[in-house]
Amino acid sequence: MLQTRPDLGAPTPYTFPKPRRLTVGGGTVVAIDVPGQAFASVRLVHHAGGATEPQESMGVAALTNEALEDGFHGNSSLAPALERHGAEWVSRVTWDSFVTGVDAPVNRLQDATALLAEAVRNPALRDEDVLRRRDQILERFWLDASVPSTLATRAVGGQLFTGRYATPLSGAPVALKQVTPQAVRDFHASSIAAVAGTLVVVGDLTGVDLEALGSAVFGDAAAADAPDRTPPEPAGGELPRVVVLDRPGSVQSALLMAHRAPARRDVDLPRADGISDVLGGMFTSRLNLELRERLGYTYGAGCRFDLRRDSGVFLISTQVDTQTTAHSLTASLAETERLRREGVSETELSAVRESNTVGLPVSYSTARSLAGALVETVVHDLPEDHIDRLRAGFEALTADDLAGAAREYLHPSEMVTVIAGDAASLEGPLSEAGAGPVTVRDPETLWS
Amino acid sequence: MTTNGAARRVDQFTLDNGLRLVTAPASTPQVAAVNLWYGIGSRFEVPGRTGFAHLFEHLMFQGSGNVAKGEHFDAVERLGGDINASTSTDRTNYFETVPEHALDLVLWLEADRLATLRDGMTQEVLDNQRDVVKNERRQRYDNQPYGTALERILRLAYPEGHPYHHSTIGSMADLDDADLDYVLDFHKRHYGPDNAVLTVVSNLDPEDVRERVERSFGAIPARPEAAEAPDAALTGLIGGPVAERAVETVPAPGVFLGYRVAPYGERDFDVMHLASAVLGQGQGSRLYRRLVLERGLAVDDGGAAADLLPFRYTPSLMLVNMIAREGVSGDELEGAMLQEIAALAEGVSDEELERARAVLERDHMQSLSHPSGLADAIGSSTQLFGDPELAYTWPQRWNSVTAEDVVDLAKRLLVPENRLSVRFDPEPAGEPAA
Repeated sequence: MLQTRPDLGAPTPYTFPKPRRLTVGGGTVVAIDVPGQAFASVRLVHHAGGATEPQESMGVAALTNEALEDGFHGNSSLAPALERHGAEWVSRVTWDSFVTGVDAPVNRLQDATALLAEAVRNPALRDEDVLRRRDQILERFWLDASVPSTLATRAVGGQLFTGRYATPLSGAPVALKQVTPQAVRDFHASSIAAVAGTLVVVGDLTGVDLEALGSAVFGDAAAADAPDRTPPEPAGGELPRVVVLDRPGSVQSALLMAHRAPARRDVDLPRADGISDVLGGMFTSRLNLELRERLGYTYGAGCRFDLRRDSGVFLISTQVDTQTTAHSLTASLAETERLRREGVSETELSAVRESNTVGLPVSYSTARSLAGALVETVVHDLPEDHIDRLRAGFEALTADDLAGAAREYLHPSEMVTVIAGDAASLEGPLSEAGAGPVTVRDPETLWS
Repeated sequence: MTTNGAARRVDQFTLDNGLRLVTAPASTPQVAAVNLWYGIGSRFEVPGRTGFAHLFEHLMFQGSGNVAKGEHFDAVERLGGDINASTSTDRTNYFETVPEHALDLVLWLEADRLATLRDGMTQEVLDNQRDVVKNERRQRYDNQPYGTALERILRLAYPEGHPYHHSTIGSMADLDDADLDYVLDFHKRHYGPDNAVLTVVSNLDPEDVRERVERSFGAIPARPEAAEAPDAALTGLIGGPVAERAVETVPAPGVFLGYRVAPYGERDFDVMHLASAVLGQGQGSRLYRRLVLERGLAVDDGGAAADLLPFRYTPSLMLVNMIAREGVSGDELEGAMLQEIAALAEGVSDEELERARAVLERDHMQSLSHPSGLADAIGSSTQLFGDPELAYTWPQRWNSVTAEDVVDLAKRLLVPENRLSVRFDPEPAGEPAA
């Protein structure tokens, strides 16, 4: 005899762990102790992302970030040194941040962090290493862009913005070629080496001397605020519209529908993320249920907000069979319009509320994810109890809030749809889809 | 129940119906990671029926006797949980991480589809998920540069008719031929509690977890008889060198080399695992230092050029893969890779071996640092080797491997007679694919 469906009892209330905060020299250490977690995550955060780069050296942040892996001795010396400590270099550049770090066993944390400090404060940055990294990034650019979804993602910026955001984060082929080793050294000296930043440490901190870690990493670098930024201008062109990036013979199309969104600080996150969850943020969201589970057109469909300090983007993405591409586009638009028109059901509201509140222990069940949340608070100047405030915001959500969010944040009439696929098969059906005029582009010409 | 003494890490129970349950403590509070390893993978498939174990994995989310289509996903997602599944040659794996208070619900959802999936299955569901899987195949294989590499590798590595000759995704034609009767029969043959390992990682008392599992799964009968896998026995080398060339719309020449090595779990597998790390894992590895940094022949992959594809029931594969830099031909790159592979037989330093050990150990410890990763490692160790403790002690296997061991095995296995090569070359300019 099988058991009947069990009642879900009340969840244990979750509070995000309160971080320890220390001022060390010009920098700040923010740390969470996770007893029993023997693998620690260390992240150093600087406010030196792609968005603040000068037009003449687009991609310098990403190139510098990668060149740090050549380490103090040059010639890719950092990773092998860390490997001997069982540690791993973890770094990335976003539009708003320059993050470096290591994941390491807590008993090797001091050694691994010392290597992090050396690499960040005093890298060799030799000409030959920077040029090698630059050439490799340039070649990888086209290699990565041969994946249709990556190609579509990289092309979207140029359809929505002018200025820095129109060019991909790593700078794209022509722009990156102009970034010299000296430009990398200058960027590093002014934005990274001379700026203390914030050090995030998460793991079992028993016996870990946080002050010593901070001193090692910050040295005598100074404190610095996030730079002021000017919101980017929109790109021209009729809205909505469709751009096909021709990949002759493709058996599938990568479809990306995007429009501009407000800056992060101007967005009410529970409402925006909530409506995004309903439309495409979950497996049970409307787009996935329609395109995958009802029509069988795709392996998956989704949507999300990409919110930056001075602007934002809303994106719907999927990959579909070539002959169902036009219908996938109109079906996605129809779902978005319906959400704006009718709002959400009580079931959808409860799914949004519950998944973003009772699910927090799952979201923060690793050192990496806890460190990621702390990095987010540093990058966007959020309060220490940011996660708890978000949770409270989701708990208070109403169906009316989400209906209002659909109208405020979702704008199908302003969509630019970028499709990487077989133009010969797509152009006709797409021009009848009602998503605006269709232009076909050769991907090779996008960043020339 | 068996417990491993004072330094308790896992507890094991076996239910009367054969279900093996393993519990282990989580390193963060308030979560429960649930992981079910079923001993059914694509190795059970026969020619003409390929891709079925994986298609079936999709069908397991489409409703059962007491759960509507989509309800399983919905229940876990609205808890903010993680949920997914995967299929390989040797197993199908279903896993969820949820807030601790939802453990009973997840156990019940898993038990319901194990016991009553056939009650919820319809032709409409089958047709829909067949289309989804065909699109998954397009996305991961057919519309992806180098996407068919693994299929080509397996065809060269294992003879026609061998259960590892095909990939888990299967062929479009076989997916089209899948019928409802076969679906129902497949569930009956492979999905029984006696063919599963259930791992729960949480901070609940192991006895408490056992009682909950007993309530959910205890009444589900074992299969009347265990399904038999086709014979995967294979001895000797590949009989190479064997090669396959593809001229496609790829951005640069891509070289994929493979060698038959020992089955997963054997000592020679561990030796080759270290050899692969010396050769091509991490930026301190030989391939990265020589072909990426010094000679500039290969695209920078961050040091991820070599690894083992672990197969428990047949010889595994060591795979080495690099993409050529601009102006470098596939022949030149392949020649350089072969040179480095051959050099392993000429000597490996202790320092290289130490670095390799550290890299493998780091990757292993990292996967255990996540509740879901720990549950997965325990499920694997229990299903494949009958020993959940291996999840924790696996790195010890590498301690006794010496540089001489690596060199000796390289001399025997990393030879032309045991080599397969799959090459992708871009179409010559002005000659697009037909």
